[in-house]
Amino acid sequence: MGRLAMSADEFDPFVERMFARTPALPDAEAFSARLEARLDSGTRVRTLALSVAGLVGGAVAVREILSLRLDLAAPDGPVAGRAVGEGIQTLTLGAQSAIQSGADHLGLANWSLGSMGGMQLFWLSAATMIALATAAVMKLSQES
Amino acid sequence: MTKALVDLHDVELAALAAAGGRREFGELVRRHSSAVRGLLRRMGAQPSEADDVAQDAFLTAFQRCSEFRGEGTFAAWVKRIAARLYLKRKSKDSRYVAEIESQEAAPSIDTPGLVDLDEALKVLSETERLCVSLCHGAGLSHPEIAAAMNLPLGTVKSHVKRGLDKLRARLRPEPQQYGKAGHVG
Repeated sequence: MGRLAMSADEFDPFVERMFARTPALPDAEAFSARLEARLDSGTRVRTLALSVAGLVGGAVAVREILSLRLDLAAPDGPVAGRAVGEGIQTLTLGAQSAIQSGADHLGLANWSLGSMGGMQLFWLSAATMIALATAAVMKLSQES
Repeated sequence: MTKALVDLHDVELAALAAAGGRREFGELVRRHSSAVRGLLRRMGAQPSEADDVAQDAFLTAFQRCSEFRGEGTFAAWVKRIAARLYLKRKSKDSRYVAEIESQEAAPSIDTPGLVDLDEALKVLSETERLCVSLCHGAGLSHPEIAAAMNLPLGTVKSHVKRGLDKLRARLRPEPQQYGKAGHVG
């Protein structure tokens, strides 16, 4: 059988078409499954790393706040200390009223946060915010 | 109404994958993994090595999916990533460097009348095979190949020409496909 002679101009697109033909590989499904497992594994590692980082960061933040030893009631403390103390008190009161109004909506009007001490409420708010921030970061990382 | 994954175009799937859609990316993998793995094997990779590089290429593609703008096909984009990853891996192999330096001669196999590209590629030297595959399989330009392989541009052109001459001597078109457009992978 005689061969067809092809010029270089004809041969280049012919070779490109041959390269573009996708070979049939019998283990294509296994390849896809292995790749998806690797993607899942990468996500798990990232979630774990972020969770650990969040916990460590939260623990460090709590430790730092504890080490401040602010006396919120002291009127003659340093100016910066007083300002921080007043800010925390404002935040605490804001959080208290927000939580109380939420509780009213849920029919828990008799549940009084006012019975909790200022520092207790502060720690409760701080823990809630840390938990929310950690959850948001984890959610964002899973979506990215 | 939400379209089924199989009805979505590659560009739509890639956009969804860029937003974190792993199911959509999985569909892209199912569509194009064989093309990418096939290219790597044609470049000279052993099947297991080709699969490893293809896996890494798809993982890279998933991380960089937002960079795919749809100018070319998704398959071509991943093929380029895979080809570059394979070259990077090869460049760490001392045998590859020695082969380029010595311009190893191609094994001479007289097999006239072949129509199988994979078989025909075996008569090319490793460097010729890489250059031809990168040029005609991965769609890299000669300067891009020269940069990726750290070779002078003229040397790349010579390898491509010699490789194509060898292929032309061994390949002949099947009558029904000659002149027809092939599957665009």
